[in-house]
Amino acid sequence: MSLLSVQGLSIRTGDSELVSDLSFGIEPGGRMGLIGESGSGKSLTAMAITGLLPGDIVASGSILLDGQQVVGAGEATMGRLRGVASAVVFQEPLTALDPLMRLGRQIAEPVRRRFRREGLDPRNIESEVLSLIERVSLPQPERIARAYPYEVSGGQRQRVAIAMALACRPKLLIADEPTTALDVTTQAEILRLLDSLVRDLGMGLLFISHDLPVVAKVVDQVTVLRQGRAVEQGAVEAVLRAPAQPYTKELVQAAQTLDRALGGVR
Amino acid sequence: MTAPADALEPVSRKRTRHSWTFSIGLILVGLNVAAALLSLVWTPYDPSSTAGGRLEMPSLTHLAGTDRLGRDVFSQIMIGARIALQVGAGAVAIGAVIGVSMGLLAAFASKWLDDALAAALDILIAFPTLLLAMLVVAASETATLWSAILALGIALSAIVGRLTRILAKRVLQMDYITAARTSGTSWPMIVVKHVLPNIWPTLLVNFALQFGLAAIAEASLSYLGLGAPPPNASWGRLLQEAQSTVYAAPFGAIAPGLALLLLVIGINLFADGLRDLADPTRRNSR
Repeated sequence: MSLLSVQGLSIRTGDSELVSDLSFGIEPGGRMGLIGESGSGKSLTAMAITGLLPGDIVASGSILLDGQQVVGAGEATMGRLRGVASAVVFQEPLTALDPLMRLGRQIAEPVRRRFRREGLDPRNIESEVLSLIERVSLPQPERIARAYPYEVSGGQRQRVAIAMALACRPKLLIADEPTTALDVTTQAEILRLLDSLVRDLGMGLLFISHDLPVVAKVVDQVTVLRQGRAVEQGAVEAVLRAPAQPYTKELVQAAQTLDRALGGVR
Repeated sequence: MTAPADALEPVSRKRTRHSWTFSIGLILVGLNVAAALLSLVWTPYDPSSTAGGRLEMPSLTHLAGTDRLGRDVFSQIMIGARIALQVGAGAVAIGAVIGVSMGLLAAFASKWLDDALAAALDILIAFPTLLLAMLVVAASETATLWSAILALGIALSAIVGRLTRILAKRVLQMDYITAARTSGTSWPMIVVKHVLPNIWPTLLVNFALQFGLAAIAEASLSYLGLGAPPPNASWGRLLQEAQSTVYAAPFGAIAPGLALLLLVIGINLFADGLRDLADPTRRNSR
């Protein structure tokens, strides 16, 4: 059974269709990249998978997440799926963390829910939080756990956000532009971290980005979205080496041009 | 595993627990609370005893002088502090419970219910607080301290409700709410863990301002004869009684006015300090 199976997904608001007839699938442990420029509907697709589209935006078609139909599912069904089947890492690590809650307590929230679900001893929540902070390669876990979001750097915040997603032990990790707000060095570190975590924990990964080279580093399948339609799908090497569609060619060329321009300074 | 290149930024543990405004506010409110508590067991004179000389100036025997019946003004002000605090706390408590519930309900409600609640709150706010309080007091059979508290509480709830609705709506749009939702946090937990803590600092300051407003409104109601009935020595009634002799003995009016002023200033300064303590991002800003 596929971990995620999207069939004929359309997302619309009022008269305008934001995503049209999108289909793709992720096997357990598989990694799919969703690529497209801003407004191509990639983040909407992520929100549709978690059943969190804004009220005036409607999805139709089929999204099977861990065997459960998400399209049209009620709050009760989604409540059982969120965190269990999927967890999300967002683009902006500052706003994705509650500014008034210590980082340790924020990580403890999903840990507590998982412990309750799995009948584990709540006395071990704190040590689990510290080991999660270590898991995302943050120094001085006790100190990080006591800190507020504004007291740590952007890269560290994103690591905390990843730790919160890991705390759920999801089967599918959805990363929505997780490196866009970070500088290039931190970007590379976060990508390596995500790569090793997904491999070590056997999670599926849906990686959303506008940046083809970034996506190519962590996924094995890509879907290229343009104006809500999938214009190209396939193995990442094949798409990068021989893009079939003009739009994908443009993306690849743009990335190569940027790479060459940066070549001199690297 | 990768090693993070970004070092841990310094986390300042040194926190400004006090500021000048907070300390002054604390002292002023503390004095009022102390006077109010003390008045339960002891006042310099029996506040209804007319043994003193009439319209005496402040002296060591009568700290705030005496009124036209020879009663000790300072003793009456101490009892008035009790009433001011009682009305302030009671009205804010009622306003907070009704207002925060209505505001949260509106923030989470469907569009038409939200619109209806917002319109109801706006209409309620359009009524002057004092006029609304007078209506409620007039509608109740006998004017008691509690009818004044209830009236002011209802009037304040509209302001609190509108503020809560706006603050909660803003918080609900934040990414960390979506993040909490995607990890499976239920709505009630989101309210308790994220919405209330994030709107709390602003609400707290507002509550303090309302407390001061309620104290002033109670004095106004009493001044108009609609507040706590005699023998409750409300500051408003002291002002009203001192009115006829204000030229002969101005201190009879100055004393309760000064008490009210100091309480309201104290509360506002105290509120500013509380906000800084409740918001960790502001703690190091001084």
